Amino acid sequence: MKALRILRAVAFVTFKEWAAYRSHMLATLLVGPVYFLVQLSIWKAVFATQDTIGGMHITEMLSYYGIAAIITYIVFDFADWNFQMLIRTGKFMTFLLRPMSHRYFALSQKVGHRTLGFLLEFIPVYLIFRFAFGISLVPERLFWTILSLLLSFMMVFFINYCVGMTAFWLTNTGGIRSIFLILRDLCAGVFVPLSFFPDAVQHVLLFLPFQFMTYVPVRVFLGDYELAGYSMSIPAIVGLQALAVAVMWGVSELIWRAGIRRFTGVGA
Amino acid sequence: MRGSIAAFLSVMRTVVASRLAYRGDLYFSMLVTLLGETVLPLITLLIYRSGASFPGWSLSEVMLIQAVFMLAKGLAYPFFFGMVYNTLDRVQDGTFDVLLLKPRSALFMTLVTGFSIDGLGRLLGGLALFLIALTGVHVPGAAAWLGFIMLMVMSVCILFASALFMSGMLFHWVGSSRVYEIHDSITAFGRYPRTIYAKPLQWILTYVLPVAMIAFLPASTLLGRANAGLAGAIAFSVVFLAAGLLFWHGMLRKYSSAGG
Repeated sequence: MKALRILRAVAFVTFKEWAAYRSHMLATLLVGPVYFLVQLSIWKAVFATQDTIGGMHITEMLSYYGIAAIITYIVFDFADWNFQMLIRTGKFMTFLLRPMSHRYFALSQKVGHRTLGFLLEFIPVYLIFRFAFGISLVPERLFWTILSLLLSFMMVFFINYCVGMTAFWLTNTGGIRSIFLILRDLCAGVFVPLSFFPDAVQHVLLFLPFQFMTYVPVRVFLGDYELAGYSMSIPAIVGLQALAVAVMWGVSELIWRAGIRRFTGVGA
Repeated sequence: MRGSIAAFLSVMRTVVASRLAYRGDLYFSMLVTLLGETVLPLITLLIYRSGASFPGWSLSEVMLIQAVFMLAKGLAYPFFFGMVYNTLDRVQDGTFDVLLLKPRSALFMTLVTGFSIDGLGRLLGGLALFLIALTGVHVPGAAAWLGFIMLMVMSVCILFASALFMSGMLFHWVGSSRVYEIHDSITAFGRYPRTIYAKPLQWILTYVLPVAMIAFLPASTLLGRANAGLAGAIAFSVVFLAAGLLFWHGMLRKYSSAGG
């Protein structure tokens, strides 16, 4: 109960803080649809010569990119950037003096930030996709899609938080973060569906946590899952996603325990 | 003019020396920009590997367009694109005023103090991809190369105009790093053959937001392909650059020097 009160309070303050920068978020209303228009043009041209590519029809492909784009507005966070900034500047010390876990505080911040994102980014872009591009983004199975999105929300947070915690060992994690973000998005299926990768790569991706960030929720949204030749029912893949989130939580706990012993609180 | 070049070279020397003090970070940064730029050619490769293609374009030809895009960015980012972040940072913390006190034009100071060598990885990557793509295409001859070089100059001018528009916006839209996203999303059209877009969009990408001039027109000229409306595209690119300069100076006049 107390934990919920804390989450609500921190989320509300974060919501109000970011609401002051509405115009920054509203840039999404241009960026999201423009990127989608690029994808729409690319795939329409590519599908002009054949019916299926990578096991997908054009409607599935466009839905894939549409869903991947709007999912980003729900699960996005910058826990990695924030954490390393706090370590580098020494401000992290103030969090160690507070009677709550910093990880929980950061998660609460994300809830507030994404609530605003849901209102200013997700809903308008969803409507633009629906009415301007005619892309019908209706989940095949609503309950499992919502559950998968919530798990993706947590997965993105834990992965980013772990990357942020590398600041315990490295003064400046900017380079690591940038490389990781590129590889993460590539392995999550943000740029192209994972079924486009060679079989050997797909088998590797099967055992990495990144598919649970974008690829899995998109496939759950579409109503079927297949990677590296393995098909799974929707409840099974969402169950696996829940297991992966629990493992990532454990990994973040281990890194935290190892890292906090190194923290000297002087900043950089 | 000689004084300006000397000032630019002096700043370049200082920037290079200061970045080499943190060599590891510099090499890492170059690697990051290179990795970031190779994602799109990789996706193009995956598309062609799956048996699909852009109608009328071979893999090497599309790669050539993407290599030219990388080359253009590789030239723009170290030499003048830093002015965008420079404006963002200085306007936000109120130190842009310092540039206004210098005995040179504000635009020159914004541009020169934004010099950065971190983007050189992109230039090297672009050059490597360009050479790889060239092995798979036929270049008609010297005239094609001459046309390509002329259009590359125009391409860099377009990116300079883009930097002017972005930097100018930041006098009013204080501290918004999202100008980069807006720019990246619009220029994303320029990484693919113009012919894949609908006719009205092709027209917009040539005569309204001349994104086609960044990579498609130089690359297709090098390939010896006929480009309808090339003269008009060149003329509009010059207009676009002039508009960028007017916009930047207009926004500078509205700069209120309050920090953010």
